[in-house]
Amino acid sequence: MCQPINVRPAMSWLCAFTWLLCLIRSGLADDNTFKEKAQPFFAQHCQECHKGTKPKGDFHLDRLPPDFDDPENRERWLNVQKRLQTGEMPPKEKPRPPQAEIRALNDWITRQLAAAAARRSAEGRVVLRRLNRVEYENTMRDLLGIDIELKQLLPPDTSSHGFDNVGEALHISSFLLERYLEAADAALNVAIANGLQPPLVKKRYSLKDERIVKVDTERVYRSLDDGLVMFSSSQWNAITVGQFYPSDRGKYRVRILASGVQSSGKPVSFRIDVGPMLMGTVNHLVNYYDVPPDKPTIVEFVDHFEARNHFRISPYGLANAQTVSKVGAEKYDGPGLAVQWVEVEGPLHDRWPPESHRRIFGDLPQAPVPDRNFSKRVEVVSKDPEADAQRILRNFARRAFKRAVTDADIHPVLALVKEKLAVKQSFEQAVRVGLKAILVSPDFLFLREKPGRLDEFALASRLSYFLWSTMPDEELLSLAEKKSLGDPETLRQQVERMLNSPKAKAFTENFVGQWLNLRDIDFTSPDFRLYPEFDELLKTSMVNETHLFFNEVLKNDLSLTSFVASDFTFVNERLAMHYRIPGVEGHAYRKVKLRPESHRGGVLTMASVLKVSANGTNTSPVIRGAYVLDRILGTPPAPPPAGVPVVEPDIRGATTIRQQLAKHRQIASCATCHTKIDPPGFALESFDVIGGWRDYYRSVGNGKEVKIDGRRMPYLQGPKVDPADALANGEKFRNIDELKQLLLKDKDQLARALTEKLLTYATGAVPTAADREEIETIVRKVRDKGYGFRTLVHQVVESGLFRNK
Amino acid sequence: MIINRRHFLRAAGVSLALPLLDKRVFGAPMAPPRRMVCICTPLGLHAPNFFPEKAGREFALTPYLESLREFRNDFTVISGLAHPGIENGHDSMYSFLTAAPHPELRTGFRNTISLDQFAAERIGTETRFPSLALSGEGFSLSWTRSGALVPSHTSPARLFASLFIEGRPDEVQAQNQRLRDGQSILDKVGDQAKSLQAGLGAGDRDKLDEYFTSVRELEQRLAKAEEWSKKPKPKVDAKQPQDIPNPADLLGRTRLMFDLTHLALQTDSTRLITILLSGASLVPPIQGVSMAHHDLSHHGQDPTKLAQLKIVEVETLKVLRDLLAKLKQSKEDGGTVLDRTIVFFGSNLGNGSSHSCRNLPALLAGGGFKHGQHLAFDAKNGPPLSNLFVSMLQKLGIESDKFGSSSGCLTGLA
Repeated sequence: MCQPINVRPAMSWLCAFTWLLCLIRSGLADDNTFKEKAQPFFAQHCQECHKGTKPKGDFHLDRLPPDFDDPENRERWLNVQKRLQTGEMPPKEKPRPPQAEIRALNDWITRQLAAAAARRSAEGRVVLRRLNRVEYENTMRDLLGIDIELKQLLPPDTSSHGFDNVGEALHISSFLLERYLEAADAALNVAIANGLQPPLVKKRYSLKDERIVKVDTERVYRSLDDGLVMFSSSQWNAITVGQFYPSDRGKYRVRILASGVQSSGKPVSFRIDVGPMLMGTVNHLVNYYDVPPDKPTIVEFVDHFEARNHFRISPYGLANAQTVSKVGAEKYDGPGLAVQWVEVEGPLHDRWPPESHRRIFGDLPQAPVPDRNFSKRVEVVSKDPEADAQRILRNFARRAFKRAVTDADIHPVLALVKEKLAVKQSFEQAVRVGLKAILVSPDFLFLREKPGRLDEFALASRLSYFLWSTMPDEELLSLAEKKSLGDPETLRQQVERMLNSPKAKAFTENFVGQWLNLRDIDFTSPDFRLYPEFDELLKTSMVNETHLFFNEVLKNDLSLTSFVASDFTFVNERLAMHYRIPGVEGHAYRKVKLRPESHRGGVLTMASVLKVSANGTNTSPVIRGAYVLDRILGTPPAPPPAGVPVVEPDIRGATTIRQQLAKHRQIASCATCHTKIDPPGFALESFDVIGGWRDYYRSVGNGKEVKIDGRRMPYLQGPKVDPADALANGEKFRNIDELKQLLLKDKDQLARALTEKLLTYATGAVPTAADREEIETIVRKVRDKGYGFRTLVHQVVESGLFRNK
Repeated sequence: MIINRRHFLRAAGVSLALPLLDKRVFGAPMAPPRRMVCICTPLGLHAPNFFPEKAGREFALTPYLESLREFRNDFTVISGLAHPGIENGHDSMYSFLTAAPHPELRTGFRNTISLDQFAAERIGTETRFPSLALSGEGFSLSWTRSGALVPSHTSPARLFASLFIEGRPDEVQAQNQRLRDGQSILDKVGDQAKSLQAGLGAGDRDKLDEYFTSVRELEQRLAKAEEWSKKPKPKVDAKQPQDIPNPADLLGRTRLMFDLTHLALQTDSTRLITILLSGASLVPPIQGVSMAHHDLSHHGQDPTKLAQLKIVEVETLKVLRDLLAKLKQSKEDGGTVLDRTIVFFGSNLGNGSSHSCRNLPALLAGGGFKHGQHLAFDAKNGPPLSNLFVSMLQKLGIESDKFGSSSGCLTGLA
């Protein structure tokens, strides 16, 4: 920032000229207007409250220089403009400034913003961004052709504007760089084969031979001639197949022959997890499966096992251990899961050395090397080390850098390998050093984009990280090489191809995971006294529902207003029970038509969203209201002013949060924001912390007894829920259904909000005020196509904001 | 004399700790090492059970402080502190040791350097590890000058190995080869700085600059690590701990981290440690506790929850007591390790149930302060927590009169 300084007469005319240029560049030439227009306005209408050491809303007018290049200061000006435009400031009880004055100030701010944006666009809106750890892991997976978790080697990423792929928030440190070196080692050790092919093992086991069954004192398992019946769904009665204990990592095929017994003609369900199965370690869910009654059926899956991993079979929805134990499994007549046998085959390798190895070294031969710990160690050898190294590195760099490479790109890495060869490191070790150098170079770790229109390779990467969260595949790279990716029709076809690919799962998981915050699904666990019905399957099902719903809207180009209200959703039996939708059996998810009285449809009334917008104990209309404003309406509320006491939650059943908040809204400075934040939150009070419908709060202190199917619940019936309220503009609603209809009134705003989120995620930088016009163009085009969401994705990709840095 | 020699080493890019003996050879009186441990319990502490009512030296021990009775004259409890500009929510954890305002904003937050890293830049050059960030979660409390998270050590077993266990000769050799390879890689990558930075806008240049600064710093660190690898690691009586895989086991995991903290300080392997305790949404295996820790912190005034929360928090304080005891029992050069170690225990939340970030719980032990009092500030208008940080920095011998949002040092603390 240039400040007007004393220009001594002795200064050369050149200096003076430079100084003048500086003034123009930084927008200070308009300083006069600032002094003439803005400052008197502020002095007359604003300063009374916003000056001194403790200004209202913690907003310091005396700390608001006319500097529009500084992002934070710019945001402050945007805030001023927004409040002027909406008429929110000065507050209602103060005299209104003349319209002409408001307009003049508003126009001045707009001009400054546009000028600052023009200065920025010369550099590009999107700052150089590094891969986040999800993108890093995916990229390493696709680059090397391996299956390995690298994420946990890297520190968590920080996010900005709600997304962890925003360049400005992604920093690098020596610590992170050190982890990249370690991760590269770990990945190369898996990709490169230094041994003989691990032997293929195929074995069939009986659960009767498991230790946990042999020492069963609870009497929850029944032995059959040809298998074992599990009757208990209690966690500790699940069976980890200890007989299978692979010594080599890789893909394994598992087949389980099982059926339901005594299940009154209904299927019986179970889940499979794979992992180390040590207490508290992280295992991963493979899936939930149903098997039909009395007819042994094979369930088969292929999954990646690390060495010494196990798999575990947990029956779902059966009785607990106590119930079975009382009569003993021999006499127990409730439903059970019969498992005849389990069979495991693997590790499955199509060829050896594996594809990942060949991708780097091609067909170069391997030869034994002495190793004190590993007697059969082999390494790649070469008769012409320098030529082979050059070819290997060039090949690798092209894909790692995601662009055509030149000799100059390879030169430093090759020099490094030669140095290592010169000090008598082996060929493979020297090449590994070169590969590592590529894997920590900025060309690999960053998405390099030059100012202006993106070149073909940068476009391929931006597209690929947007829709796949990973590097471009061969088709994208070769289109970029031919310089034809940028052609609008080709680009359109590629977006279609990419959205139809299984890799687009990453878009759903990462975009939805952050847009709707589903990544926080495990952040709190519901209080089991208040929510005894909550279980793992319900949690899994709710997240799957949202993903499936998003995919459906995307696949069929349905209106983006479906995210607010829809007449369909996806459920399985467990979720249907939660939503009180009759007639859904089994674990398969299916699209169901919603009746109006279901109060469901759209994402806001999905259990997943309702869970992440609450904690495990209580809901807050403020938190949920802010969620709706930020994520759906695109009008995030300002943070609460400093020093305001927070409402202290109370679940003893005497007062409702609504009564507590009512006091809040009586204070004028709180009301400004809370008349906007609270209403959607009040409507959502009809849903509890796990997204179940409620007419009454649940309480642990005061209230009536609650009985379901004759069983007394551990919670009591608290006060009645009152979901009715009015929006800030006075429009009243009685419940969530009416609120949804009100939200649907301004479809353009819903489109605008989602466009901004998508653009942020797609480009790694938030759109600014200067990009408003382009966003409006996108909104207009999408409106013409019935607000189709797939259309929106295409429009985002076609937009100048996506095609330029 | 000492200064000159160390300056020489630093200029040569190899600034190593001079073992205590070396320093004596030069004959100059040696300043005792100054150390700091910062601990954060991320779900807060229930204030009525923690803060005494009365200020000054005559305060009555509260249910939580009761656990620390034998250390009454070794700690100061401070009420009324808060970070200005840091309002409600768990995101306040990111700024606990940095004081960077508005981490709760979803827009454009950039963190600043944390207290330990700030200190490490000044006093972290003498030990095998400039600083250590331990964590029961993925995040750590430590942030670099550029606002990047310092990765945490989450496996006490692995950290123990790198602190105290000499590898087999072939492992040491392989590790040294990796360190040398790493240095040559960084050297080559660093060479490209100029060519890559040409023709970029200011934002991109900053980013690349951050990258190349990291390259240089890591190169130096690997060089130091290679030098250190030639020196024998300190010997300790303790056995390598086994990691506790159960993430719900708050106390067990905390104890492992605290035990390692004691060993690392006692052997002068590092002088700066940050520890983020876990705040899991899981039921900790503690007698009398049946609900998840995070869930308990959102007690909503429910007496059952408050009772269980109290059990969890009292037990946590008892683990802290054991750390203080170990530090006090370890004697060195006529004092105790505790005398030279500032132990700061606190939380980013003043009230876990409402997510308030006012009136943060803060307990300061050891480090050469005059203890045995309750420093009470006005909860509505107390001084910035950073004032305490400035006082801590000064006690470390760092001449700094400003950190984060400080307005001075903390009055009443000597």
